[in-house]
Amino acid sequence: MIAVRARGLVQRFGDRVVLGPLDLELAAGERLAVLGDNGAGKTTLLRLLATAARPAAGRLELLGVEATRERERLRARLGYVGHQLGLYPALTALENLEFFARLHGLGRERARPALETVGLGGVAHRRLEQLSRGQQQRLALARSVLHDPELLVLDEPDASLDAEGRDLLGALFEGRSVVMATHDLALARGLCHRALRLRAGREAGDPWGAPRAGGPSVRPREGAGPVPLPNGRAAGARALG
Amino acid sequence: MRFAGVMLAVAAKDLRCELRGKELLPALTQFVVLSLVIAGFAFDLDASSGPRLSPGILWLVLVFAGLLAFGRTFAAERDVGSLEAMLLTPAGAPAIFAGKALGATVLLVACEAVLLPAMAVFLASPISPAVVATVLLATVGMAWLGCLFAALAAQTRARELLLPVLALPLWIPFVVVGSRAVQVAMSGGGFGAWAPAGQPYAVLLDFDILFLVVSSLAARFVLDD
Repeated sequence: MIAVRARGLVQRFGDRVVLGPLDLELAAGERLAVLGDNGAGKTTLLRLLATAARPAAGRLELLGVEATRERERLRARLGYVGHQLGLYPALTALENLEFFARLHGLGRERARPALETVGLGGVAHRRLEQLSRGQQQRLALARSVLHDPELLVLDEPDASLDAEGRDLLGALFEGRSVVMATHDLALARGLCHRALRLRAGREAGDPWGAPRAGGPSVRPREGAGPVPLPNGRAAGARALG
Repeated sequence: MRFAGVMLAVAAKDLRCELRGKELLPALTQFVVLSLVIAGFAFDLDASSGPRLSPGILWLVLVFAGLLAFGRTFAAERDVGSLEAMLLTPAGAPAIFAGKALGATVLLVACEAVLLPAMAVFLASPISPAVVATVLLATVGMAWLGCLFAALAAQTRARELLLPVLALPLWIPFVVVGSRAVQVAMSGGGFGAWAPAGQPYAVLLDFDILFLVVSSLAARFVLDD
């Protein structure tokens, strides 16, 4: 199954084209790192893939569903963490997850294991505002996988994470299709099968291979796989305790 | 069933956040009491003029308290990105909006629980069950409509300016009917004293249903771009 299929994807802010036209294809279970300088269009692309914004033009199919038409149905199968964490400072870590579990139509009992998964079991009853930025990021990641999504869309998920938190990413990605924006090339290599570099909203070649020489855009690459992280571990190889 | 579950979860979350953060309720209470004190001095109210002017003062305070309350409803969510996080669940924009509106309604009712007794104390206003019922009926429609415009205004930079401009014209029907009903109630008329042609309760109820349905339908387009 194809997790992401975009054809001629374009986004505009006013008259200015900020992304595209872009073609993209991601197979189920594949992980794509989106790289690029500030303002390259990474967040814009990720917001489109997360159904947080509608494209100005082009076709976008996620998990075999037309993304612009059946957004609500699709959102049960997507997990997203953006620049803003979207959590409530006055609620505890556990209450935040319980609330989002209810919005997903799940029982509150799903919250505790998700919290344990990201190593926040010990601070479950601490309010968000009393957690460090890294712990808040972990909580946002826990929320993104609370409903066991097939496709994860993450905008700089490594922001504020310590080494242990970065290791968690690999475990969270296990068995899922992932599109992740990052500035950390080593982390991207460790976690993802492929990479897409954006420059001024356009594809600027494969940062791990030769620059793009025309023709269709990013396609699955045979034999590609995550390489070991700088700490020697292969991302995603470690099961969570 | 799912709609109701999401609505209640969102409203409960909002109230819990408010009870812990204490951002709005103390400010609203203070605003209500200060407004009544200022009105007492400005109109030079005494035992005879107090009850006569009370309906007008009540609705003025209620309208501005509503603007304060609803202005924060969506702005706070947008500031931390939590509105988007909610919308990216399969809960659906109408149910999320309904929850926000329900939370705002409860908040405004809490504000009225201070306003009405304070009016009895400061303005010697006769607060009867008919007055309470009228105010509660108007609150529902005003809250849902106010929340819809608050959601719209929260997407703009000038949200503090935009909300009154959008909401006040559509609140006028509530103020017109509500102030007439409160006037009748304060002058000694009870539940059975409505003129057959007026029927303010029925009219307010109609407004509530109309604006509740319209705002819930519009919520999808306002919240989920």
